[in-house]
Amino acid sequence: MVEWFSDNRANLAAVIVLFLVAMLIWSFYVGRKQAALTAKDEVFGDPQRTRGGWYWSVCGVATLLLVWFYFSWGMGRAYFPNAANEMCQVAKLEEVVSPIKAALPIGSRYYKSTLLVARNSTQLDAVQGELPVDAFTADEQAELNELIGKVRSLMVNASDPKNLSREATGKLDQLVFKLNALSTELRAGSANLSPTAKALAQPKWGTTHIEISILPITARGVLFDNVATKAKEVATLFVKIRNHPPANVSVITDVKARISAFKAVNEIGKFDERKTRTRAAYIKSVERIFRRLDDGTIFPANSLDGVNSAIAGLDAARDHARGNLGTIQSILFPGQGVVKSRTQCTEQGSARWLPKPTDVVATFLRLSNPDIDGGGGYKGIPLLWWKWLPVADTVGFLVPDWIADIWPGEYAKHGSDATITPNFKDKLLNFARGKVYLGVIPVLDGHLWDSVFRVLVALGLGIFLGVPLGLFMGVSRFFKSFFDPLIELYRPVPPLAWAPLILTIFGITDDGKIFLLFMVAFAIMVISARTGSSGTQLSKIRASHSLGASDRQIMWNVILPNALPEILTGIRIAIGVCWGTLVAAEILAGTTGVGFIENIARTVSDYELIWVTILIMGLLGLMFDLIMRWVIEKTIPWRGKG
Amino acid sequence: MRKSFKKTILASASAAILAVSFAANAADKVNAAFFLEWATPNQIAKVDKTYDKAMGVPVNWTDFKTGVAMTEAMLSGDIDISYSQGLAPFVTAIQQGAPLKMIGIAVVYEANNCFVKNGLGINSSNASELEGKTVAVPLNTMADYAFRRYMAALKVDVSTLKIVDQAPADGAQSLADGLVQMACIFGGASAKAAGEVGTPIMTKQQKIDNGIGSFDVISVTEKFATENPELVRTFLEVTEESNMAWKATDAQIAKVAKDAGMKIETTKAQMADFMFPSSKDQLEQYFSKGGIAASAAASLGLVFSGDSDGSKIAKTLDGSFLK
Repeated sequence: MVEWFSDNRANLAAVIVLFLVAMLIWSFYVGRKQAALTAKDEVFGDPQRTRGGWYWSVCGVATLLLVWFYFSWGMGRAYFPNAANEMCQVAKLEEVVSPIKAALPIGSRYYKSTLLVARNSTQLDAVQGELPVDAFTADEQAELNELIGKVRSLMVNASDPKNLSREATGKLDQLVFKLNALSTELRAGSANLSPTAKALAQPKWGTTHIEISILPITARGVLFDNVATKAKEVATLFVKIRNHPPANVSVITDVKARISAFKAVNEIGKFDERKTRTRAAYIKSVERIFRRLDDGTIFPANSLDGVNSAIAGLDAARDHARGNLGTIQSILFPGQGVVKSRTQCTEQGSARWLPKPTDVVATFLRLSNPDIDGGGGYKGIPLLWWKWLPVADTVGFLVPDWIADIWPGEYAKHGSDATITPNFKDKLLNFARGKVYLGVIPVLDGHLWDSVFRVLVALGLGIFLGVPLGLFMGVSRFFKSFFDPLIELYRPVPPLAWAPLILTIFGITDDGKIFLLFMVAFAIMVISARTGSSGTQLSKIRASHSLGASDRQIMWNVILPNALPEILTGIRIAIGVCWGTLVAAEILAGTTGVGFIENIARTVSDYELIWVTILIMGLLGLMFDLIMRWVIEKTIPWRGKG
Repeated sequence: MRKSFKKTILASASAAILAVSFAANAADKVNAAFFLEWATPNQIAKVDKTYDKAMGVPVNWTDFKTGVAMTEAMLSGDIDISYSQGLAPFVTAIQQGAPLKMIGIAVVYEANNCFVKNGLGINSSNASELEGKTVAVPLNTMADYAFRRYMAALKVDVSTLKIVDQAPADGAQSLADGLVQMACIFGGASAKAAGEVGTPIMTKQQKIDNGIGSFDVISVTEKFATENPELVRTFLEVTEESNMAWKATDAQIAKVAKDAGMKIETTKAQMADFMFPSSKDQLEQYFSKGGIAASAAASLGLVFSGDSDGSKIAKTLDGSFLK
């Protein structure tokens, strides 16, 4: 069942998208109608105005999901499940002709030759200007200038169309012919082509670790794949074409001889160390430019016009053969489309880092599978499951080992027959260490539970300690003045700043992480309880006082109920901030937890997993918040009505 | 009301159009990535602007904290060449289908050490006693890879260990505090701290015997390599020259130390363990068919992902720019 859904996630998404669009339109319609209905009898700013309106929630969620579907290409995949594979075949062609395009204005504005001439001329000028006059004699300087002139003449000869060898011209013509043949093939269409059985057996788009299968699965794809294979040969030919004007041959020999002559002089000449280095470096810089110019990569500008227009023709043929794929791509696949790297095709643009909603759900389901051996869980731990916890473990945690140490007597030693008879002291030590069987209890287990547990414990401690302190700070001069500097000093420090200390104080177990979260929750709870209690109306306190209430009764029946709205809002804020700090806390010493999963996923750029963790945290935060809203509704129904 | 609604639609439509951006591809400058605190001879060429002069375009050097960040910057088009990217982030990037290729070997160095807490009496001869112990490992790094190779060589079942993901500095601290019994560490300062309280599980010689080593690579984006092969070639040429010119003289070390942001002594100690293979050696030993680069990348790929295809990673190794 799950597998069927996983395999047909594109079709599933198609239904979901239609449903979302329907919801969006419907909720919008209902919302407008309701707004028109109540527009007349509502006062602006009345909190009652914000009550209800669930249809706007539907509208918001539908919009969010549709935006997500669109920018993750989920919408495109839903209705055109073969598009990515076809785009991949087009990208193959793009990849193989990219070396040709890189040398032509069509791909990079200028001819590569133009850029090379410009760059090398500038470098030659620079080298000539930097000639170290103290390291070379006047004769040598003259000769070096001549040498640089000769190197420059290589460019001049290569740029002259008259010098272009017949061999090079022939090869370029041949290239143009082959490119045009490819264009013709593309324009001929894919009528007689069909994908191979092997290609059709490939996994569907996005269902496995490899996003987009590489072999063509449609006739159009086969056409592009075929042309790309042929174009690769053409590109190889192009890269090998060299322009060696006959005039350059003698210049090259001459320059080579002169450079080696200089090198020889450097070696035998008795120059001091600094001079030798300067001379060698200078000759080296000239030689470097020379070596770039002697390989015949500079062509006369107009000689490549034919290739340039042939490539333009190929591009036009490509667009023709793409047919409606181009339109689909520009509408439904925002970003740079599919790019073929050396080994695979990948989605570029927003789809690279934004996985499709259905894929995220699939990854979530894979993670939540409690069967670890069956590929579920993460790093050998389930997402949320249960396990048997030996009671002795808890006992061992609670009872300190030194209890056994202070018990009178000595630990057992092995006897002469190599047997050990444990005495009471040994048994006590085993008990304190939890090495006894006291039965087992079922407990929750897994990454999700560990994170929730940390947040809940920290939050619980924060409320338990923070609220009383805050209340007393609101009513007592001593508490206020004594704790104020302490709280206010540590409160503004970001939780991450404590992280390095936490590790060395608390170690790698849960207590450090919990403490970090506790610090966050505690400060918020103190502040909110304090604000709440100090904001109590004096008249209420005086009234109860004159009615004979004790201090305790005033605290319990007047101040606390008055502070409750602030406290509950504080809890809501604390929950949010705790979830926000969780990722930082779980970096400290990662063993389990949602933040741990995200930290590891980050190191391998596994965006699907990253989004799963983000969504888990978002949804859990939302769940907690909904619970709190319900609690607020139940406990302080008078809020905002006095 | 109606008017503002139209405006919203218009604004979101124009935002959507803006989101579709185009990248320009004129190589009027080259962006290179490097690590601070990772001393290499080519930093002399970097400081002296030899790269800029030889390539004829300005070279912008940006320092990174991790190899993964280098990959991300290369994917977003901000970096063209990464010098000394770790093999681990390179391989994971390739597994994710990133259009990168390895064009050279930057540094060969001894595999990262796993330090066993002193006083436990555990060494390579009785390594199986590690089972059930807690180990700090920075997951998905070269140290993680070295850790798994050690454990395989020493026949320790990794699944019996409790692995804690910790950055090297934290791992060293936890080792000192006795919270973990072994810590796998990379980086000079953290390794030194861990060495104070622990002993490497394998000696230098044992590592060599078991063929466990590490190297950093020079990687480029495929786009940059296709469009500017001559710049890539010159970059490697200058790197090769500065490696050849490296005599570890005081002046050279001082220059490198300053650029790497380290003390002279630490730089010396770090570079003593480094080897910078020549282009010839790289071609013969690393980039040959079934060479070190391909086999290491393949086995690394298997460590990080069960269904990794080594032959695919091998396709992204390209030694042609070294010739």
